[in-house]
Amino acid sequence: MTRILTLLAAMCLWAAPVAAQDDGPLRIEITEGVIEPLPIAVPDFVSDSATGAQMGRDVARVIAADLSGTGLFREIPQKAHIARITSFSSPVQFADWKAINAQALVTGAVSVDDTGKLVARFRLFDVFAGQEMGDGLQLSGTQSGWRRIAHKVADEIYTRLTGEGAYFDSRVAFVAESGPKNARAKRLAIMDYDGANVEYLSDSSSIVLAPRFSPDGDRILYTSYKTGFPRIYLLDLATMNRRALESQEGSMSFAPRFAPDGRHVVYSLTRGGNTDIYVMEIGTGDRRRLTRAPSIETAPSFSPDGERIVFESDRSGSQQLYIMPTRGGEATRISFGQGRYGTPVWSPRGDLVAFTKQSKGRFHIGVMRTDGSEERLLTASFLDEGPTWSPNGRVIMFTRETQGASGQASLYSVDITGRNLKQVPTETGASDPAWSPLND
Amino acid sequence: MNTGQVISGVAHGAVIVWSLVGGTFESEPVPFEVTEVTAVSPEEYAALTARQDPARAQSRVQSPQAPEQDSAPDLAPAADTPPEQEQPTRAGDPAPDTPPEVAEPTPPASADVADEAPALASPSEDVAVMVPETSDRPKPRPAPRVAPEPVARPERDVRQDPVRREETQPDPDAETAREEQAATAPEAAATEIVTEAENPARAAPSRSLRPRQRPGRPARDTVETDRAEDATDAAVEQALAEALDDAPEAEAPAPSGPPMTRGEKDALRVAVRQCWNVGSLGSDALRTTVVVGVTMSEDARPIRGSIRLIEARGGTGDAVRQAFGAARRAIIRCGARGYDLPAEKYARWRDIEMTFNPEKMRSK
Repeated sequence: MTRILTLLAAMCLWAAPVAAQDDGPLRIEITEGVIEPLPIAVPDFVSDSATGAQMGRDVARVIAADLSGTGLFREIPQKAHIARITSFSSPVQFADWKAINAQALVTGAVSVDDTGKLVARFRLFDVFAGQEMGDGLQLSGTQSGWRRIAHKVADEIYTRLTGEGAYFDSRVAFVAESGPKNARAKRLAIMDYDGANVEYLSDSSSIVLAPRFSPDGDRILYTSYKTGFPRIYLLDLATMNRRALESQEGSMSFAPRFAPDGRHVVYSLTRGGNTDIYVMEIGTGDRRRLTRAPSIETAPSFSPDGERIVFESDRSGSQQLYIMPTRGGEATRISFGQGRYGTPVWSPRGDLVAFTKQSKGRFHIGVMRTDGSEERLLTASFLDEGPTWSPNGRVIMFTRETQGASGQASLYSVDITGRNLKQVPTETGASDPAWSPLND
Repeated sequence: MNTGQVISGVAHGAVIVWSLVGGTFESEPVPFEVTEVTAVSPEEYAALTARQDPARAQSRVQSPQAPEQDSAPDLAPAADTPPEQEQPTRAGDPAPDTPPEVAEPTPPASADVADEAPALASPSEDVAVMVPETSDRPKPRPAPRVAPEPVARPERDVRQDPVRREETQPDPDAETAREEQAATAPEAAATEIVTEAENPARAAPSRSLRPRQRPGRPARDTVETDRAEDATDAAVEQALAEALDDAPEAEAPAPSGPPMTRGEKDALRVAVRQCWNVGSLGSDALRTTVVVGVTMSEDARPIRGSIRLIEARGGTGDAVRQAFGAARRAIIRCGARGYDLPAEKYARWRDIEMTFNPEKMRSK
């Protein structure tokens, strides 16, 4: 009898939650989805004049190219559009956009105001929800700067749809290369992130290497062989004035990079056959040595908070990555894989370090956590090197050089997930990219 | 010496004698061919070879003589004479058409409308209600993607559509009438990332993507004819739809009937996840789990205005907004034609809470 009562009690206890669950809503958990580019429609921005109409088309094309270029979005060709946007204030016929499976829709208008400035307005819609995503936005600028306006619109759309920071309105400093491999002319150059608006900052009279942007994007550090030895120079982009930072006779300085405060520079200095890492205050020229090892220490890069520095060293017998405090001191090795690691760069988000890896005769661009875990190789080729981070820490640009006497260097970019590897269009050969912060 | 030894000795001796004399170990001679030859004298050999000398090439070749030039043919054309034709004879003038008689339109008789609703006889309690016949919804075609879990194979009589089509529905908001058509499954998608470093080098792509089909567009005259009527109807229906969407939810019936089976729940989960696209989500949104509530209509379609965020874990602000947006799009897109849910269990699935957990998607 006691056993039967116990059994009944147990059944009641088991049945109670089941009954309670049945009373509530149906609950399901979804843990698997799909990873596909989001279909987006970007019709031409409307305008009330013929000149404006062309501008509207151009602005829309740049926005669509920016978004499609991320690999996260897929533009629906305009030929497939059913509805036509004829007025910025007209209500959107969501059914027409649903029919072509557009999940996001960008509508906009361009006009020129009384002062001659270009004014662009846009709205972003979630088609299937039938809602506007965020408020409409209006931007204005010079007519010649229409590409920047388009990049800013694309930045805003990108941020609203992904939740990530923006990066389209940014620039890239690089070394433009021309001529054969054994007599290659190199010039310092700067361009929009997508390869447009190239400007040359130096002639080809001397070899230049490794440009690096300041945190506010108004200055560039680079290495030049103007004196026959590598030496670091500081270039002011507003005035185009340049000066050598390190002019110690009998020494070589290279691999510079700004500290997050913009007032200090960390770099490598070779003296007496030994290469160590130094930090210099730009204003005073005061220099402090951070490493004191007989091995080669180079390619330093600050963490975003300015507390630590990652660098490469062969102190263990092979080229590996280490992290040390900004004031110097004991360094911790973070790379332990097979092969040689170099040119580490700290992510703007602070969570990853990008690097170049040489293993089994091939070069890779990879990322790892700052403690060395979760190493992932994103690329593989004859020669990949010199990664640089986009301002939002989502994309990496690097140099890829092809094999052979006629091999040429060019710039490539890849998402940190390893997707969307693509070449960045440049007029000439290009190497040593350095991504600027987001423009103001 | 006993008898056995004698017999054995005699037998052995007999065997030895038989083997020596009987020819058992003699081998047959190896057969060989014999060819008859005859001796040839040097003179006869010279005579034979002289006949086989190849013909020597002639160095002189007679060049062919040029043919005599033909005299040019006379190309003067002869004047063509037109063929004789019969001259048509003019027919008589046609009789003028008589205009059709047009009857004067008569105004429709005005119907008398009673203010009071007719009284309906209430059915007795024992009256049986015929369940309306419903046609089965088409089952979704399995997408050719790498999926972590197998999808049920379609039935044999389900036709596989080789042409990709976007989904269209008749929409009262639209200015143009559009033919309804079902959407084919989305394009193939991978569920994990293979970076260039892991991908073997390939000389060329093995295939190209099929271009998307452009949705059909109705004829313009139809648009112009129906535009005025559609505009009014659309406005009314839109207002009704919005009112229904925004209206407070009706009193939910208490869940009754048999509970949802695991298979039915799995089918719903598979259907929703096919549209849950996390490809455009940022890293923060991919760390955010959202619980989304939705109320379904009786035809198993989600009521758009009922989709709400119940809970979010692991993210804040923009990340929650992006994660909820992706979940909402998934519910609406894949439910546009209604989910495959048992109609008799409507009370069980009228209200659904879906948890979208992207933890597994982060590592892909």
